[in-house]
Amino acid sequence: MLQPHSFLWHYLWVAPCILLLVLALFMWRRGLHREFPAFFCYVIFEGAGGGIIYAIDVTPAVFSAEVYWRSYFFFSIVEVFIKFLVIGEVFTHLLRHYPSLARLAKVLISGLGVVLVFTATILAAYASPAAFWLISATRILGRSVSVVQCGLILFLFLFAAHFHLRWRSPVFGITLGFGIVASVYLAYWALLAGWLFGPKSYLLDFVNMATYHICVLIWFYYLLVPQKSPAISAVVLPEHNLDIWNRELERLLQR
Amino acid sequence: MNLAIILVVAAAVALGVILRLTITRSLQAKGNSNPAATIRPIDVEAFRNLIDPAEDQYLRGLLPPAQFREVRRARLLAMAAYVQVAGGNAAVLVRMGESVLARGDPRFAEAARQLVDDALLLRRNTTVALLRIYVALAWPNSPFAAERVIDRYEQVSGSAMLLGRLQNPAAAVRLSSRS
Repeated sequence: MLQPHSFLWHYLWVAPCILLLVLALFMWRRGLHREFPAFFCYVIFEGAGGGIIYAIDVTPAVFSAEVYWRSYFFFSIVEVFIKFLVIGEVFTHLLRHYPSLARLAKVLISGLGVVLVFTATILAAYASPAAFWLISATRILGRSVSVVQCGLILFLFLFAAHFHLRWRSPVFGITLGFGIVASVYLAYWALLAGWLFGPKSYLLDFVNMATYHICVLIWFYYLLVPQKSPAISAVVLPEHNLDIWNRELERLLQR
Repeated sequence: MNLAIILVVAAAVALGVILRLTITRSLQAKGNSNPAATIRPIDVEAFRNLIDPAEDQYLRGLLPPAQFREVRRARLLAMAAYVQVAGGNAAVLVRMGESVLARGDPRFAEAARQLVDDALLLRRNTTVALLRIYVALAWPNSPFAAERVIDRYEQVSGSAMLLGRLQNPAAAVRLSSRS
């Protein structure tokens, strides 16, 4: 079952592509493509592009291995750009209603971006080369980009949590899916680039593909299922209790 | 190989953090009863005295250097405690303001937006102030100013008071012990 070109392998590759194209259709009908244009592009690109790569992979009589790797490398490069656009879109949506934090967030994310790109460059320099340069290039690209994307998405989560920013459901869903994919991809590409699994590396493909399938379902849920508004009680601010505060402060000073 | 293991561990930590924050968000959305009950009032005047540079100068002249550093560290820790409470209160006020905004009642929208903005600035200032306090703990002789935190706290207290009064004119609304 856990073999390349088994039924599960075909399902895990094809199902997310089809689901993504269905998601794109629903997004179009609900007008979400205007609200999330970068994510809409991503969904179409992954659905269609993933299908094309799959077709190239399963027809070795027509397309050689080199054609497959060239196509996959090109697909990965375009995917990287679209993913960064989606991260930028999420960032804009998250901070749209918080102008007081926008400047700080931009400074922090720019600084973090520089550090992450620097780290990714160093990691790329220390990569172990493979016999075929395209395989090496793909793995190094995947690992380096995963470092940057995982770092940026983690920053978005931590920043929003620290300031208790309110995520809109679709924005949260997109970011959650990207966060899971980015962290699993980071581990996947790190293991692949390190050649730790050797000929058994196809096992990692199953983990990778299953995770991606789950993330596509997460995007379906958060983008298409109406989310319940939390029960909100009227805001009643309490009277203070200075004695309690002072006792706690004294306790702190006595430590 | 070591590099791959480090990256795998980093990825696992990132995934764990993301999933934990997701669960926390989900639990907060379900159990959103009355976050205001978690607000802890602050004696702004006492805090102002604590960070008064004149007090530090007085202690510096009065105490031997070693003892001054000890007292200064104790004062910095007290400052940090105040700032942490202010930051915690700011977080609660952000949630409360957001809750009011989510109801979409135009009568309170402007006051709620003002509260959220002020509380976010306070939260930002408390974060920076805490970093500076921890740096100052390492170098107790360095000067430290946290006036911006106090000013922002008094401003956010005013915003909360306005929003509270709009929603419930009879309720007493105070975030500071003396305001």
